[in-house]
Amino acid sequence: MPEVRIEAEPRTEFGKGAARRTRRAGRVPAVMYGHGAPNRHFTLPGHQLMIALKTPNVLISIAGLEGRPVLALPKAVQRDAVRGSIEHVDLIEVRRGEKVTVEIPIRVFGDVFSGGMLDQQLVQLAVEAEATHLPDGVDVDVAGMEIGTAVHAKDIPLPSGTTLVTDPEALVLHVLGAQNVDLGEETTAAEGEAAEAGGAEAPAAAAAE
Amino acid sequence: MLIPRKVAHRKQHRPHRTGAASGGTRVTFGEFGIQALEHAYVTNRQIEAARIAMTRHIRRGGKVWINIYPDRPLTKKPAETRMGSGKGSPEWWIANVKPGRVRFELSGVAEPVAREALRRAIHKLPMKCKIVTREMVEG
Repeated sequence: MPEVRIEAEPRTEFGKGAARRTRRAGRVPAVMYGHGAPNRHFTLPGHQLMIALKTPNVLISIAGLEGRPVLALPKAVQRDAVRGSIEHVDLIEVRRGEKVTVEIPIRVFGDVFSGGMLDQQLVQLAVEAEATHLPDGVDVDVAGMEIGTAVHAKDIPLPSGTTLVTDPEALVLHVLGAQNVDLGEETTAAEGEAAEAGGAEAPAAAAAE
Repeated sequence: MLIPRKVAHRKQHRPHRTGAASGGTRVTFGEFGIQALEHAYVTNRQIEAARIAMTRHIRRGGKVWINIYPDRPLTKKPAETRMGSGKGSPEWWIANVKPGRVRFELSGVAEPVAREALRRAIHKLPMKCKIVTREMVEG
């Protein structure tokens, strides 16, 4: 995975007022830590960072700070719940050749056997790999899988140099038979019985039904 | 319909209608979800109506998750009653939904079917919503 170089500017002021001014200026407050070094606070250009974070576990080269550019991986990204804009990012410093544990996405492709329903339990796998050679994901082909077929973490082939950290027996996905869907008619009757049996203080509107 | 089986207090104060959702803002179980863009009190009837709208559209296959629960009672005084004489009687059960909350999730169906099912469910809900996918809210 290629490195993304981003120019950082050291943060001089802190607190919510300063952070909001920074965001209005199109930059994102960030902190970097790791390897026992003191925390470093800086800001990153918002648009560049948003583009970079579209790649899972992107390796970012932070320039513009004291000394040489530093390699870092995103550890936590805080986003606005509604707009999705990035509010703050935590970066963890890494070194070339260092092994790190990251979560990589599981990409599923293909259509299961007709009549079956794919139930995916895990969407990410925790793996250990070299920081500069992190896989961007693993593919699972579910084409033609029949009802009852299951794929566990140990069944997924990993790229070379990558070891599995997730429990090998963990269920990743399985194919279920299509279930009968409750369309609502039975619910009303069943609910009435449940409310009577439970003795809940049902409001007048619910009790009137 | 969703109703608490047992409650400690029959009547409560009205829940706060301010602020954004602090959790449950991502699609965690399914592939697609409905995210609230406004604050609203969602009643158990509205939740049930939305669920039925979804399940009737997707028919067989697919799985639906409901991430909110109507655990707050709202009271109402009878019509043409003078003020006083204590608090009214419980009338509705509501979930206090704040902006950003992902309330319904869906998986196991093709994207056009899922979007149409969620669109129908949104029409049963009392606030502006948007359809989100797992990819959109992660990273």
